[in-house]
Amino acid sequence: MTDDSPDNPRPRPRWDPAPPATPEPGVPLGGPPEPSRLAMPPSAPATPPAASAERDTPPAGDGRPPSPAGPLSRRKFIGIAGGVAGAAAAGGAAWAALVRDRVDESASRLAGVTTTAPPTTIPATTTTLGAGSGAAAGERVLVVLEMAGGNDALNTLVSSDGRYRDRRPALAIAESDIVTLSGADYGLHPALAPLAPYFDAGTMLAVAGSGMTEQSRSHFKAMDTWWTGVPGATSQTGWLGRWLDATLDGENDPLKAIALGGGGPSLVGLNTISTVVRSPELFSLRTIKGADNDALVAAFLATSAPLAAEPYLANAQFAIPSTLSAVDLLASVSGGGEGDPVGVGRGDQATAGTLLQTAAGIIDLGIGTQVITVGINGFDTHANQAARHQDLLRDVADGIASFLTRIEADGNADRVMLMTTSEFGRRVAENGSGGTDHGNGGCQFLFGPEVAGGRIVGELDLANLVNGDLPTAVDTLSVYASALDWLGGPTDEILGADYDRLGLLRA
Amino acid sequence: MTTHASSTRVEIAWLARRAAWGLRPGQLDELETLGTDAVIDVLLDPDGNGVGPESSPWDGFEYVDDNENRREQGLEVLASWLGHLVTTDRPFENSIAWFWHDHFAVSAEVVRYLPALLDHLELLRDSAFGDFRELIRDVTTDPAMLIFLDGTTSTGASPNENYGRELLELYTLGIGNYTEDDVRAAAVALTGWVVARRFGYQARFVPRRHDPTPQTFLGTPGVTGVDAVVDTAVAHPAVPTYIAGKMARHFLGDVDDATIDSLAATFAANDLKVAPMARAMLEAGIDGAGSPQVTAPVPWTIAALKATGADIAPRILAGLLRQMGQVPGLPPNVGGYPGAATWLASSSTAGRFTMANALARTTPDDSPVLAAAAGGDYDELADLLLRPEGFSDPTIAALRDLPSSAAPRPGEAVLAIALASPELLIR
Repeated sequence: MTDDSPDNPRPRPRWDPAPPATPEPGVPLGGPPEPSRLAMPPSAPATPPAASAERDTPPAGDGRPPSPAGPLSRRKFIGIAGGVAGAAAAGGAAWAALVRDRVDESASRLAGVTTTAPPTTIPATTTTLGAGSGAAAGERVLVVLEMAGGNDALNTLVSSDGRYRDRRPALAIAESDIVTLSGADYGLHPALAPLAPYFDAGTMLAVAGSGMTEQSRSHFKAMDTWWTGVPGATSQTGWLGRWLDATLDGENDPLKAIALGGGGPSLVGLNTISTVVRSPELFSLRTIKGADNDALVAAFLATSAPLAAEPYLANAQFAIPSTLSAVDLLASVSGGGEGDPVGVGRGDQATAGTLLQTAAGIIDLGIGTQVITVGINGFDTHANQAARHQDLLRDVADGIASFLTRIEADGNADRVMLMTTSEFGRRVAENGSGGTDHGNGGCQFLFGPEVAGGRIVGELDLANLVNGDLPTAVDTLSVYASALDWLGGPTDEILGADYDRLGLLRA
Repeated sequence: MTTHASSTRVEIAWLARRAAWGLRPGQLDELETLGTDAVIDVLLDPDGNGVGPESSPWDGFEYVDDNENRREQGLEVLASWLGHLVTTDRPFENSIAWFWHDHFAVSAEVVRYLPALLDHLELLRDSAFGDFRELIRDVTTDPAMLIFLDGTTSTGASPNENYGRELLELYTLGIGNYTEDDVRAAAVALTGWVVARRFGYQARFVPRRHDPTPQTFLGTPGVTGVDAVVDTAVAHPAVPTYIAGKMARHFLGDVDDATIDSLAATFAANDLKVAPMARAMLEAGIDGAGSPQVTAPVPWTIAALKATGADIAPRILAGLLRQMGQVPGLPPNVGGYPGAATWLASSSTAGRFTMANALARTTPDDSPVLAAAAGGDYDELADLLLRPEGFSDPTIAALRDLPSSAAPRPGEAVLAIALASPELLIR
């Protein structure tokens, strides 16, 4: 270390304390020490609510006639509610306008109906929830692992091209460390070794040099496009939200699409709504020690109906029943154990390993969930990339391998496709901070029974750089199109054009 | 809802929710006697209204460079910060400082050296109402920022674009007002600043790490060095609208273009001093600009702590904020804390319910809110929670239907549900 070399000193403060699962005495804010008096039961006891199974029947004893438009069913109510969660994506005025329209319509439809939906505390409730869309257990599932920050494609799919080594004197993966893929021009970062068997077995495909037209180097603009699937224009909806809209048959089911981790924006639809859970292990309801949990949860739920005319308040009401349903759902899914192998979770973000285990559990419940986005971040490796990227990729690889093992063991592998995304690649040349700046040319992985795997589509074309960046070799929308085909489409309607499928899936 | 509260009381409650993050019991009565205009003046000019200066939340904090204590130290800093936000008599200054924290989004996840982070936060508080150009100048070579966006490792031989890009995209102009060449030019012109242990973690300019080649930046030729970069960026005509729009949306919710243009004009006419624009913003809000707004977890929690006097152990408080999705000092990415609708996600809703229970459980026996809750005086309870208009009908029904045995202490369950109610989330 030279005299003027920078450093980011340790120790690193553990800013983010453990979740409050094990409360312990502490020094209260501005007062004398006092042990916590919060009780922490995992959730409200599972008392079957009387009316919950008859989801299209209003609770008995209401005494009022149904509104002309029909009774407010619990299911319909929950259906409306999820939209709030999905709306996290659009943000700002566009979202508000969108929600306002929906609320105005709902509020007028619901005028005069007083409904107190029962608390939802048993798995049986969630089972009926998802059953609305038909034979749930056999439906296809798409899992999208969103690697936010801009994953470095060149150190993920590693080239033997000498120009790679020239531009990356410090960051290039040593030849001897590259994980070879049979018959392929590129190898894998050593942390991705657990994925190689899937490639060699033909159930994993890699896309090299993927990107959007008019690819932006701004995280936020690039992510907008990545979520909407509409390059060069603004869109209120996400590419998967439009699939939910297009396949809506009857009432919306907020559990048909679930965002785990930081995601959600790609699920925003105009007429459909989804569930957003940032961190499954922190997702629970706790009440006052010695309190009547059922009474408190029921009262919380009661504040949500009837809907207010004021759209912001109505949205805050909407969020309550869908949250209670989602708590039940997640409580019945074990997300722990095999997850969290390396602890690269940031803030309230869980790891890919943890979230993918939760996803596998949701899939196995067979409640009609067809789209699960898993959001992880930290890929914006401007500095100290070597160690950070290794940790991130290890989490990804171990998480995916554990996920694939689990769905195979559960008998669900035949109906699940997994794909990875990231908003852009990184500059070919490393910077002076041991990292890489925003660039172009990403890479994606696809896994699944219909994936035409065992090969790499596209290339990381080091011979034809554009302003020091890799050129785009594969339009990301071709990959999205293939994923939508897997779900049954209507793909071209959703994406607004007929993108070349590039044979990513077996015909 | 009941409507017997005076319009002045309703206006001041609105100001208190948006600009002051709540009030302690009795304060609404005091402020109502002053009138709306005087309250705005107290918020904007505490010094001129007899409110003395306040010390740093972290006075007396002693950093120990020691792995054993790092978690405790982080928690101590966090507790001091939250405690300060509850007890401050300069609440608008602190909520503007929070806006700047959201704006610059420096994260403790990246800036591991706590004293640098605290200095950064103090800079934001000291500059809250001040000169925007000076704020950008100070932040550009602030040790925490140099660590956060890699300025400290950006050299003439190999410039790092991270700060140059966000200076333009996030901190001053907004997207669409600059080119990739401007990003590179800023990166080159800002090279040479270093934060290092041997310099006591102060920022130092090291000429041999700097590339002095004059850059064309935002159309201005010959730009090199931090002052020229900052002056050029801040002089760009997009700055007033970008900053006024961001601040107005933060405090007022949805605002129309005419409101933003008016605030931007005020900002520009006052040489980018923040206070006149902030005053105009509150006045516009009282006049009906803006919209209802989903309250973020931190301001929601601070307001609840003020109203109840609740006494939650820092470790638990921090854990519950994490569950709600917003922990001070840990914005999830360089774009800051997410937008308001995020706080309606299932995770935040569940966290809010649990936090409300924790608040009710630790509210002192003699708290006015607990008495109002126990006595079934829902109008009084709503007023104490800064909703002089009263609760919604569904909430009143829910509170009324709660069995008196629902929680051990009288009023506890009612208070928990009142705090968790949808209307208390909307400010």
